[in-house]
Order: sequence, then structure tokens, then C-alpha cells
Amino acid sequence: MKVLFRSLIGIGLMIAVWHMGAMLLNKSIVPTPVATLRYMGGLLASGEVVAAAGQTAWKAFLALFLAVLIGMPLGLCLGLSDTLYDVFRPLLMVIQAVPVIAWLSLVIFAWGIGWRGPVFLTFLSLLPISVLTTISGVHNLDKNLLEMARLYRVPRRKVFGTIYLGSLLPFAVAILDVSIGQAWKTILVVEYLCGGSGLGVKILMARMNIDFPGGWALTLIAVLLGLATERLIKFGLKRIFHPWITV
Amino acid sequence: MDYCLTVKELSKSFGSLSVLDDWNLQVKHGERLVLLGPSGCGKTTFLRIISGLEEPTSGVFQKDAVRVGFVFQEPRLIPWRDVRGNLQFVDEEQGDTGEILAQLRLTGFEDYLPSRLSGGMKQRVNLARALMIRPDLLILDEAFSSLDMKIKTSIIEDIRRLWLARGFSIVSVTHDLKEALLLADRIILLSTRPSKIIREIHVGLGTDRNPSMPGFLQLEADLVDMMCHGEA
Repeated sequence: MKVLFRSLIGIGLMIAVWHMGAMLLNKSIVPTPVATLRYMGGLLASGEVVAAAGQTAWKAFLALFLAVLIGMPLGLCLGLSDTLYDVFRPLLMVIQAVPVIAWLSLVIFAWGIGWRGPVFLTFLSLLPISVLTTISGVHNLDKNLLEMARLYRVPRRKVFGTIYLGSLLPFAVAILDVSIGQAWKTILVVEYLCGGSGLGVKILMARMNIDFPGGWALTLIAVLLGLATERLIKFGLKRIFHPWITV
Repeated sequence: MDYCLTVKELSKSFGSLSVLDDWNLQVKHGERLVLLGPSGCGKTTFLRIISGLEEPTSGVFQKDAVRVGFVFQEPRLIPWRDVRGNLQFVDEEQGDTGEILAQLRLTGFEDYLPSRLSGGMKQRVNLARALMIRPDLLILDEAFSSLDMKIKTSIIEDIRRLWLARGFSIVSVTHDLKEALLLADRIILLSTRPSKIIREIHVGLGTDRNPSMPGFLQLEADLVDMMCHGEA
């Protein structure tokens, strides 16, 4: 209750600063919170923004799904083999170091404007998180449990399914935990730069049409949706995986 | 074969550090042997060798035991599997866990995760897992060293009941005299590292024992004497 109260004070302060900024600056460039909310209501009622948010969301989830699907098995292999780790480490470091913008021309040449570019670039930004976190999970495996399994001659498949995957599950949850916010932010930026549809494109259109309240309202929708999705997924993950997370 | 375990001229070194020096011993089927020695003398190393986790540097050992149950010093339970799941993990036949849980007073805790169990209960699950495979040889590696005397005595009593019913052999290591006397048919005294077998004591106290028995107290005093006055 105390935490909620403090959070509400923080939100209230943010809104107050925003409102004061709008009062001090040009209201057509920085609309007041009330005006922005009113505008946002209108946008949501039209249905067009809801469809755009849906398009952004599925692209973010696809990128996240691919990053986990490819990143975790890759991280598992690299964690188990020092040789493979040494071979792939430079590539991972390059992917991690190169900014999204540097891949942009390549992506536009390859696929033009559309959904593939945003998904691919978001996937690339998430892949190192997925791989490196999994490697760290493999390195943190409890060797005592593996020795216990060896002593009782537990079949390898069972050891893999129970000890390896069980140990990696908290790390998978951590990957999702870190990646959801990152996926949402990256997809919006890449949509803005080379997307064919989605909230990022809507924000770009608002900027091009010098529709400042529209830009603010769309940004607010993106932020609220991002936060809500993140909270919802984290809550779900904690509920589903509590035996693995609480240990 | 009369012996469950035969060890001949067994030695173990880790680099230049000699740990076990020329061990020779035999364990009969159904016998309870306790190795008693100071901390760091290589007791656990010996158990790791006979259970196949380490190779000896020299010497041989023969085991006439198909199934070996091992009770580790720390419980080594899978944290995200409940008590039942931990037992089933080692049991290839996925047998009924109810009987062994009842025998070790764990009924009602089947669905508990290890994080919800006390230290004593975790060790009971550790023991239940070892007994789940119906072992011919049960190895106890200072399994009760972290428990208080009351819980320790209670678990040793459970082991005694199960040993009487099933007749498996036991090889246990400890540095606790009471624990050794409560459990053993025979005690082997070990020297400090590199450890050698320096003495064998046959514990003729019968199967039903408690630490306040006169014979028990006398043997305990003798063991203290041997260990403190240079015989161990």
C-alpha cells in the first residue's frame, strides 16, 4: 500500500511537470496532459490506432519468440562447449555492438519497407541477451545435482530434461523479463525508420503532418501498452514458473 | 561372494597430496561399517571411489552390489521438484514413493518443494531417495553432521529399522563418535592424512541401542581414549 502510494506520488509529479512544461512552452508543440488524453481517446475510438498497436505487438512477440527459440539452444551449445563459445563469441560481440541504424540500409535493400525489417532488427537486438544469459545459466548449473544423477545412473535424456532445462528455466524467464521492454522499444524505432505499419509508423506520420498532439498521444499509447504488456507477462511468468523462480 | 565390498591396497593422491594410503578392508553382506576419522582425512574421497565418482591412484576394489544408494552430506535435492519428484528422478521404474515416505515419516510432504522443508526433513528425503532404488549397499557420507542429536538419533533409528527389514550393507563415514556407535557393527579408525586404517573395533551392542546404555558409554570412552592418545 505504501509502495502504491509512493508510486502514485511519482506519477502525479510527472504529470505536474508535464503540465507546467505545456504552460510554459507552446501548447501546440507540448499539449497539456488533459488535451493529450482527450486526443488519445479520440484516436482509440477510431479503431485505427488499436489495429496499429496490434500490428506492432505481434511483430515484437515474433521477434522475441525467435530470439528465445534460436538464442537459448545456441546459448546451451555455447555454454557446454568452450570451443564453440570461442568461435561464436566475436560474432555475438559484433551483433551486440552494432547499432540498429547500421543494419538499416542492409535491411531496406533486402526487404524494403514492411514487417520483416522491424522483426529482423528487433530479433538481432534481442539475440545476444538470449544467448549470453543462457550461457551464464549453463555455467551456473549445480554440479552437485549432475554428480547425484551420475551416481544414480539416471539416463541422459532425463538429466537433460530435468536438471539442464530446469536450471535454465529461471534464465529463460530472466531473458523474457529483460527482453520484453527492449523488444517494444526497438520495434517502435525500427517501424519509425523502415516499417510498413504499426505504432512507429503512426508516430512518423504524425511528425510528417506536424500533428504534435497526435505524436504525443501515440507515444503515450505506446508507453502505456509497453508497460502494461511487460507487467502482464512478468506476472504470468511468475505465476507459471514459481517453483523454478522462487528457489 | 561373501563380501559386498573388498578393498585391496587402495591409495589415492591428488597431485603431490597423498590422501589415502594403502587401504585394505572388506564389508560383509548386510554388515554396517563405520569409518571414523578426523576431518579432512579422506573419508569422503574413499566413498567417492567406491561409488565410482573417483578413480583410485593405485589398488583395486570389488563391489558385489548392483544398486548403490548414496546419502550425501548436503541433501542435493532438485529445488524445483517436489519430494515425490525428487524420489522418482532416481527411480528408473517410477515405483510407488508412498511406502518409503511413510517409513521415513514423510507422509503428507509429498508435494512440498525442498525450500519448504527443514534441514532434518531434507536429509530424510536424501535418505528416502537413496532407499528408493532398493540398494544392496547404502553409503552415508557424514549425512547427519549438520543435524542436532535428537534428529540424528531419530533418523539413525529409522535406518536401523529399514536395515533390519531389508538387510542391505551400510558403509558410513563420520567424525561423530555417538553416531558411529549408534549405527555400526564394526568401526574402523583412521589416522590423519594421508589416512591409514589403524584399528578395527567390533561393536557388540546388539541392534537396539541408545546413548545412555552402559556398554555404549564405555565404548564411547574407549574410542575417545584411542583417538586422543595416539591410537588414531
